[in-house]
Amino acid sequence: MEYEPKDDLNDFEKDLRQVMVRRPAPPSLKRKILARRSRQNTDRVRARMLIWQRLAASIVLVAVAGGAYLWHNAEQRRKGEEARQQVLTALRITSRALQQMNEQLADRNRTGE
Amino acid sequence: MARDWQPDFEQLVDEHQSMVFSLALRMTGDRGLAEEIAQDVFLALDQSLHKIESPLHALAWLRRVAMSRSADALRRRKVRAMDLWVEIDEHHGALAEETSSPLATRLEQLLATLPEAQRAALVLRYQEDLSPEEIAETLDAPLATVKSHLQRGLKLLRAKASCQLREYIRGV
Repeated sequence: MEYEPKDDLNDFEKDLRQVMVRRPAPPSLKRKILARRSRQNTDRVRARMLIWQRLAASIVLVAVAGGAYLWHNAEQRRKGEEARQQVLTALRITSRALQQMNEQLADRNRTGE
Repeated sequence: MARDWQPDFEQLVDEHQSMVFSLALRMTGDRGLAEEIAQDVFLALDQSLHKIESPLHALAWLRRVAMSRSADALRRRKVRAMDLWVEIDEHHGALAEETSSPLATRLEQLLATLPEAQRAALVLRYQEDLSPEEIAETLDAPLATVKSHLQRGLKLLRAKASCQLREYIRGV
């Protein structure tokens, strides 16, 4: 085998083109690519599921917290209303008692005359 | 807008694995790394498959991504190509001899000693038979720069071949 680098750049280019043919890929390359692709797809599905699960858990948590807040507010309102009714009843009773006393005093004044 | 061409991933792997692997191998000089890059490139293609519009688009996309991933890998490893080729000789010498002549292997070793930009331009020019305009597009570089890399790279490679291959032939 005799190699003499050509003086002419064009001839050297020809040599180079002949040398630089594509190398065959390793036989296992396609199998490895497909295996990694399948693994990646599985991971992606799993990651998506995890996101949905987290989202669902967050929604439930927000719903529970919101429900508890609303229930607490309603309970406070109910208790406030109950207290108001009790005060009104007490005022009504007091008012009636005062009215009765007034009437009795008025009767006594009338009979004393 | 409807597309007539529907990309088939497995078919694209079959058609282009040799091209992607060869680009990565000639850029990095490391067979294992080249295989890893080729895998990454095809997995990236799988993610971007919906953007691919035609077989030619797929080919250009694969070339561009293979070159940029190889450059990234070289930058990451910061290993000089010469050292890598020594490694290849030690670990994969038998395979290289199986697939190509000793002269071709030696010429590729010389190619690996060129600066990265010149090597990239030469690999695309002589392996992929691209025009300087296509190389500029693939490497996202100005046309004048690519032409300069091609010229300088070719001259440098020829000079190295003149010096070293005669000695190599004598040694065989």
